Amino acid sequence: MTDVGSMALAIGWVMALYAVVMSLIGAWTRKRDFVASAEHAALAVWGVVVVAVAALLHALVTHDFNIAYVAEYSSSTLPLYYTVAALWGGQAGSLLFWLLILTSMSAVVLLQNSGRNRELMPYVTATLMLISLFFLSMVNFITPPFERLAFTPPEGRDLNPLLQNYWMTIHPPSLYTGFVGCSVPFAFAMAALATGRLDDIWIRTTRRWTLLAWFFLSLGNLFGAEWAYLVLGWGGYWAWDPVENAAFMPWLTCTAFLHSVMIQEKKNMMKIWNMVLIILTFLLTIFGTFLTRSGVISSVHSFTQSGLGPFFLSFLGLMAVISFALMIWRLPLLKSENELDSLLSRETAFLMNNLVFVGIAFATFWGTIFPVISEAVRGVKITVGPPFFNTVNAPLGLLLLFLTGVGPVIAWRRASWGSLRRNILIPFSIGILGGLALFAGGMRHFYALLSFSLCIFVSSTIVMEFYRGVRARQVMMGEAPHVALVRLIAKNRRRYGGYIVHVGIVMMFLAFTGTSAFKQERQITVNPGDSFEIGGYTLKYDGIETKDTPHIAYLLATVGVFQDGELVETLHPEKRFYKKPEQPTTEVAIRSTLGGDLYLVLGGFDQDTKMATIQAYVNPLVSFLWYGGLVLALGTFVTILPQRAPAPAPAYASGSRERVATE
Amino acid sequence: MTAGTKFFVGSIALVGAVAYLIYAGVQQTGVYYFKIDEFLARQDSLAGEGVRVAGRVAVGSVTKKMTPKGEELNFRIGDFVSEGEVKETVPVHFVGVTPDMFKAEGGSDVIVEGKYRDGMIHAQSVMTSCPSKYEAEAQQQQGGAVPGAR
Repeated sequence: MTDVGSMALAIGWVMALYAVVMSLIGAWTRKRDFVASAEHAALAVWGVVVVAVAALLHALVTHDFNIAYVAEYSSSTLPLYYTVAALWGGQAGSLLFWLLILTSMSAVVLLQNSGRNRELMPYVTATLMLISLFFLSMVNFITPPFERLAFTPPEGRDLNPLLQNYWMTIHPPSLYTGFVGCSVPFAFAMAALATGRLDDIWIRTTRRWTLLAWFFLSLGNLFGAEWAYLVLGWGGYWAWDPVENAAFMPWLTCTAFLHSVMIQEKKNMMKIWNMVLIILTFLLTIFGTFLTRSGVISSVHSFTQSGLGPFFLSFLGLMAVISFALMIWRLPLLKSENELDSLLSRETAFLMNNLVFVGIAFATFWGTIFPVISEAVRGVKITVGPPFFNTVNAPLGLLLLFLTGVGPVIAWRRASWGSLRRNILIPFSIGILGGLALFAGGMRHFYALLSFSLCIFVSSTIVMEFYRGVRARQVMMGEAPHVALVRLIAKNRRRYGGYIVHVGIVMMFLAFTGTSAFKQERQITVNPGDSFEIGGYTLKYDGIETKDTPHIAYLLATVGVFQDGELVETLHPEKRFYKKPEQPTTEVAIRSTLGGDLYLVLGGFDQDTKMATIQAYVNPLVSFLWYGGLVLALGTFVTILPQRAPAPAPAYASGSRERVATE
Repeated sequence: MTAGTKFFVGSIALVGAVAYLIYAGVQQTGVYYFKIDEFLARQDSLAGEGVRVAGRVAVGSVTKKMTPKGEELNFRIGDFVSEGEVKETVPVHFVGVTPDMFKAEGGSDVIVEGKYRDGMIHAQSVMTSCPSKYEAEAQQQQGGAVPGAR
């Protein structure tokens, strides 16, 4: 099977190269059969990658420890679920997995466009296959997944215990899907540049792909946060680690892109900017993979470090040169046909939002690579940690939150102060009142007050938007409120789905604010029977038990959680000792309520005295992060569903022309 | 002034604000990051500074003590060489939760962050960098060259 796998990858490499060359020649010489042949080759690449993945999965499941990868990342006692997940647990496997997603998406793109966008398609194929070719080169020449060992070890070294967690099994696939998904709009952008078809056809064709990529990027980031929260045991979910930033930066530019393409669709402006954004997003996905895979910036929880760096950097440079060169060549055609009509318009709000998104992305980028820059410039490595990212990004994030409230209620093109005031006065007053109420209730944290007020303001604008839409339908169509609500959303999925996503974002801001402004932390060493207090809870440490299984040995502490003198829950923070490889891990215990989490870590334990060090955290509102993620997913789902009938959207009526996505 | 020009002025202000935030952020929160040899070479000039140092825990240098505030950890870190070749080390003091991968007998690769005072690093955090070593070791075993790995 594995020989089949490596052979498949070798064939795939040749096929991908063939597809790139043939589609370009076909496009330049206008030979249709060349282009068709290239497309068939691209589909074949998908086929052989599937074969290779199947071969590796087969090797993993049958415990073929003669394969270095299998011996390294699995064992015979590893549960099947994690054995399959070991496919993306290590370097070679995850590159192969990446290829699987990329070539599958390429195949879908080819099939979707077999009868349309024919002018663009040769370049789309060439771009996607060029990216595939790079990853195929990696798995063929640099980290071959089917490499055999000189001997067959009796047992594998097993998957790193920290990765044996549900969230860690779904985090890489979603992130990769998000990363790879960005390649599709990028490929269409390149095709638009190459052919000079620079109207919004490439944007409309890829709208759903971009949303899909964005959706998985969002989820990937959230799953990673959830994993860090549950597994790393330091009480938080986000540490601004280079690897985390690597996934966050493309999300930022992709979000900016999703907003700014609306301006191009409506007003034919911002063509250059949109190009820049999609190119940046794509480059950041490759840069992100480079950061994660190369270990160039040492990261605390970097599971991967190898000599892939130079190859990634070269590929990154090559793609940057090609894409920006194409763009500069086409600059005359990218000139905007329209100008900003008024400073008081939704366009301005969107542009500001874009600037802030890119600003956050840049600050994050700068902070991430600052050790490298400072070393090059000053000869000393200077690192910046979470305080840097928080001080820089918190005000920018709050500005963004404010714009989330303003954007939807301000008219396109030219808003009048009167109408803006009418739309914004009520939500704004509610926000201010909410802030005052919190202040009266004793809250003195400036950022928290600002953030909560903004959350209330934004929620109010969204509620008002829904209310107005429902009212209008009730009056005009005579529908019952719930029918009106469902139809309102169904007929304007893009708009109201967007609002639902905004609700999710507001919920996440509640969590960010709660956990950063009001987090409580206490670390204490206690004897069995001792009690201590944190954030309204009284915790009583009762002692420690041990438990042994063939795979893991456990140390379980018992901690009673009391509130107002009553036992509300018993928590068991653990230490686990994995036997293969020998590695201890910490398993946190959490009491989760909507108001906040009580998060316990068993820090240390003394066999003789039975004393234990317990680290307790209270993380207010943290659940809103996960619920916000659910709402965000729901909203994206609404926007992504195909829209059947074009519906008039009242608020867009002032815009130049209405266009409903038809693809 | 057209709307475009006004917007341009506004965006310059925004870009300036971002630049200022970044500059001030680096000034206020930047921490020197040294590999242990770099740290040892210039430790005299670093008294009172915040530092982040990567090194290897010297074998046999670890002492642990339970205190009411958590585990008190004292150890010394030196260069990334095998046992016996370590010449110079610097003491580290830490109270908190010992990381899972920190070996009591020494030999773990760690990154400590804290203030350098009175010839000792008073660490606020001790991080082990083992998971990455995990893969690096594996690669070496397979005979592959690992330029990126320390």
